[in-house]
Amino acid sequence: VCSLFVRMGLSLLARLEGRSSLKNLEPYLFAEEGSPVHGDVVEFHGPEGTGKTEMLYHLIARCIIPKTEGGLEVEVMFVDTDYHFDMLRLVTILENRLAQGTEEMIKQCLGRLFLVSCNSSTQLLLTLYSLENLFCAHPSLCVLLLDSLSAFYWIDRSNGGESLTLQEMNLKKCANFLEKLVTQHHLILFATTQTLMQKSANSAESFFPLKLPHETDTDYRPYLCKSWQQMVTHRIFFSKQCNSGNSTGFTVISCHLKRNQIVKRSFSVAECGVQF
Amino acid sequence: MVVLRAGLCPGLTEEMIQLLRANGIRTVVDFVSSDLENVAWKCSLSYKALVAVRRVLLAQFSAFPANGADLYEELKSSTAILPTGSPSLDQLLDSGLYTGEVTELMGAPGSGKTQVCLGIAASVSLGLKQHVLFLDSTGGFTASRLYQMLRAQTEDEEEQASFPGALQRIQVVRVFNIYELLSALQELRDRLSQQVVSSVGPLKLVVLDSVSAVIYPLLGGRQSEGLALMMQLSKELKTLAREFSLAVVVTNQVTRDGSTGPLKPALGRSWSFVPSTRLLLESREAPWEKATTQRVASLAKSPRQPTGVQVELDIGNGDVLEPSPVTPAQGL
Repeated sequence: VCSLFVRMGLSLLARLEGRSSLKNLEPYLFAEEGSPVHGDVVEFHGPEGTGKTEMLYHLIARCIIPKTEGGLEVEVMFVDTDYHFDMLRLVTILENRLAQGTEEMIKQCLGRLFLVSCNSSTQLLLTLYSLENLFCAHPSLCVLLLDSLSAFYWIDRSNGGESLTLQEMNLKKCANFLEKLVTQHHLILFATTQTLMQKSANSAESFFPLKLPHETDTDYRPYLCKSWQQMVTHRIFFSKQCNSGNSTGFTVISCHLKRNQIVKRSFSVAECGVQF
Repeated sequence: MVVLRAGLCPGLTEEMIQLLRANGIRTVVDFVSSDLENVAWKCSLSYKALVAVRRVLLAQFSAFPANGADLYEELKSSTAILPTGSPSLDQLLDSGLYTGEVTELMGAPGSGKTQVCLGIAASVSLGLKQHVLFLDSTGGFTASRLYQMLRAQTEDEEEQASFPGALQRIQVVRVFNIYELLSALQELRDRLSQQVVSSVGPLKLVVLDSVSAVIYPLLGGRQSEGLALMMQLSKELKTLAREFSLAVVVTNQVTRDGSTGPLKPALGRSWSFVPSTRLLLESREAPWEKATTQRVASLAKSPRQPTGVQVELDIGNGDVLEPSPVTPAQGL
């Protein structure tokens, strides 16, 4: 009996520890004091080539690098629906960030990463259901990344025929279950959504509750199901500027939807990954 | 959408299926997303049996997560980088085409897309002795041109003896609409998964020239159906690349916003996310000599390299890509 209590105590401790440590995930991405906590859902939104996936590599690296090297040393689940995940790129970033980027060290870091690829919204849903056990068994698995949530949009829309309910059925179930996973297992979810549609020219509703003086021109038109729109706590818009010369600059506009805070930051991408 | 039927998984009997169906549970998704306690009560089925079936169905239809360290080990042995035969192109691509990825060559008509594709096919087949599948949707593939490109790769007579072999390793399939294309890809998948290597050999490269030719007719009209087919194609190309460690090269047209915007890939936003790497090919008149066309390739998207870098391509003057009697303007 005693040992059972000890074990329960240990796993509880592990959970609590996992909780406190995510504050430093990437403060630059969020407004002051607005860093996501467990249970939050962060959406990365933007057109192709604006650094969304690169930012996910950055977050993965932050998570899986050990504490002794300045990382958070937590486990990460990456759900790849775009078949874009580039392991070699992640390894390059790790090599650049670790003081001793030995093969052994890199494999140790990668041991904290789990990857799963899904090729349809049905498979995504069933996979999310089946992941529940893994989250139970790994208390330090506390970050869930999904790239991207919009991958099956057109296929689902066509399969659903005329009925919006059928078109959105799988994604809605995915969103509802993601919400449950995030709440019950104290995860932070980061999901990318692609700018598949242009903002309609005469759309009266403005997304930004607080007007930014110069950069209100974000090309944003929510098209994914309501269940998803409602569970997002932070939405981050990605864009890219071509500066003079060959350098490319990236910008994020980060919105804390609960507190109406908005912050704008720039970053660049180098061999070692994202740099603010 | 998989419909529940007897024999789908152990423990799922015809009787159970009838009872479930009477309660509106028809598909695997319906089943695994219902509250089983409630279902057990409504259908008077054993809760334990339902839970067991759910577990089996999930194992059968969900994707299985892999550990990063294991995946890295696997990738180290399965990933190959295929040199394109053009040193300047290799430089842009960080030494060549990576297997597991879709690379797009975009450019206006006459910018050299088909020529580059033929050059890559020649290099992979002759230099690396790997098999190539060339999906031609425009009728732009010409065997004589390919032969010229092989000749351009080597002066060595002994190696020239291996040209027939090299040509044999390049399989050409003409596909003039999306359905022919999808069925050709399905056939490829079947062949690769049955490991019928005798006829295909170690396939490393699939070229699709061009993707826009098969997609354009689908767009307009009831758009979402066309877009769904386009995304189906993208999924097929990407999963083939991943599962069988193939390098996939597609060509695409270019377009621009208004008349002054920068060139961007055709086929719209949804397609723009598909390729991991994208090259822009452009042809310009050389300032010093009106008759020669200078070809430039620049990197528009890459997971590895800084974008925007430009190199000059030599199609027409003895570079590995060929010495040719055909003038570049006729090359396409």
